[in-house]
Amino acid sequence: MSAILEVKDLSKRFGGLTATRNVSFSLEPGELTGILGPNGAGKTTLFNLLTGFIAADTGSVLFEGQELRGLAPHKIVNRGVARTFQLTRPFLGMTVLENVVVACLSPRARDAHDKEARAQELLDHVGLGSKAREPVETLPYGDLRRLEIARALATKPNLLLLDEPFAGLGSSEIEPLAQLIKRLHREQKLTILLIEHKLREFMALVSRVIAIDFGEIIAIAPPSEIVRNPRVIEAYIGKTEAAHASA
Amino acid sequence: MKQLSIVDLSGAIAVVALLALAPVLLNSNYFTGVLTVCVIYAIWAASWDFMSGLTGRENFGHSLFIGAGAYTAGFLATVWYANPWYSLPTAVVVAVAFSLIVGFPTLRLRGPYFALAMLSASAIMQRLCLIFWEYSGGEEGLYGLDPLIQSPLHYYWFVLAVLVAAVAILTALAQSHWGLLLRAIRGDEATCQAAGINVTFYKIASLTISAAFAGLGGALYAHYQLQVSPPLFSVVVSITVIIMVYVGGIGSIYGPALGAIMLTLLTELLRSFGEYRLWVYTLTLMLILFFLPNGLIAPLWRRLTERFR
Repeated sequence: MSAILEVKDLSKRFGGLTATRNVSFSLEPGELTGILGPNGAGKTTLFNLLTGFIAADTGSVLFEGQELRGLAPHKIVNRGVARTFQLTRPFLGMTVLENVVVACLSPRARDAHDKEARAQELLDHVGLGSKAREPVETLPYGDLRRLEIARALATKPNLLLLDEPFAGLGSSEIEPLAQLIKRLHREQKLTILLIEHKLREFMALVSRVIAIDFGEIIAIAPPSEIVRNPRVIEAYIGKTEAAHASA
Repeated sequence: MKQLSIVDLSGAIAVVALLALAPVLLNSNYFTGVLTVCVIYAIWAASWDFMSGLTGRENFGHSLFIGAGAYTAGFLATVWYANPWYSLPTAVVVAVAFSLIVGFPTLRLRGPYFALAMLSASAIMQRLCLIFWEYSGGEEGLYGLDPLIQSPLHYYWFVLAVLVAAVAILTALAQSHWGLLLRAIRGDEATCQAAGINVTFYKIASLTISAAFAGLGGALYAHYQLQVSPPLFSVVVSITVIIMVYVGGIGSIYGPALGAIMLTLLTELLRSFGEYRLWVYTLTLMLILFFLPNGLIAPLWRRLTERFR
């Protein structure tokens, strides 16, 4: 099987700071992969590079064999790469349904006849169907994450990038959201790449982990092996375990 | 999308009927003239609101399109002696051309560039009118335009019909999926891009629509005054339009149109205050904007009709 996403030597500097250094990895179709790394390791920057929100200095991003680097963010979405934001940014002053309808109007999704009906289906799918007519301001944080996923799905992605979907959620909200991501992966054969901090949920979800520190890949391995990798332990696990212990 | 409610439709018919009958009842050429200016300002305010009210990208130089439309009518009449009816479509084309020239480089960017570029473009055009006085008539401008319709009352009705058409078209667009996208752009551009929407395209396209109606209004104004002069490009015109929009209720299209009519009438009614006119006018504005930051007309209408929906 050929890779759906192939990232080669991707680098980005902000002045003197190297945010991403020679990052190379590839994703197989249908894979659920995680990106792991401490705060400031460059995970979100990597997402922004992949989705065109930040222009890379060097390297290439091949998606389904075509170069994405240099394309505007909306064009990348219409090639089939959708993302969510770590800080959810809904369209305020609109209903929950209208928030999803916006994405149903993107060129890739436009062939659906009734945009409202399709948006409603997507909301049902992520478990927000009953809140479709409510103003988006009334949604709690966990529901905003679901909305974010519904909006991303509305653009009919082949690859879904989730930026810290569990951040800021209570433990009662995490498990159902993890189930939703699993279900999307299983039922729609979506390739998913997600950034995460919350180690336990993360490890249970993904089949492979790309560990990043200081903008560089330090290890790529299945979850069971990544936790034993000395560089990963040094960069991340030790600190997190300490944080967990104190929490 | 949203259906036009019976309440809104009856309200609109009542207001239009009142506006159409007012000059007949008052039977004064002077008052018909005042109303004509009211209605032209209403076209400008509604057209400003469509782009800036919906996308939140504030245009501080709407007079660029107004002046471009008016001067197009002026040049057609005084240089080419064209049939005055050609003014209207030509003014639309010229105003749209101006919107593309300013919109393409500045609407790709976020931040204040668009507002500043519009402000300076209109100021530059005002200066150019003075610099190239041999062609533009300088301070005095161009005069000797023919009226489109001889009877002032009939011309007023024509301009009112244009306003009704403009508000109907802009409202229909604002309530369509197109309008939803413009409101989404006001909400968050990055989220829009993540939803696969070409934000720049929609901003430029809505600016051209806004410019088209502003230019049309400019030409209507030129054929009412029968002359055009550089102050049409001035910042004062742009700011006046923006104030009308805020008083009417930004983003509602009909609110700004009625706000324009109300404020233009207010200016006329305050003539009896003589020197103190500007004081009273400014004080009224400050009170409205301070106590009703969402505007007066559209929020008031929504509240009055709430129980009938």
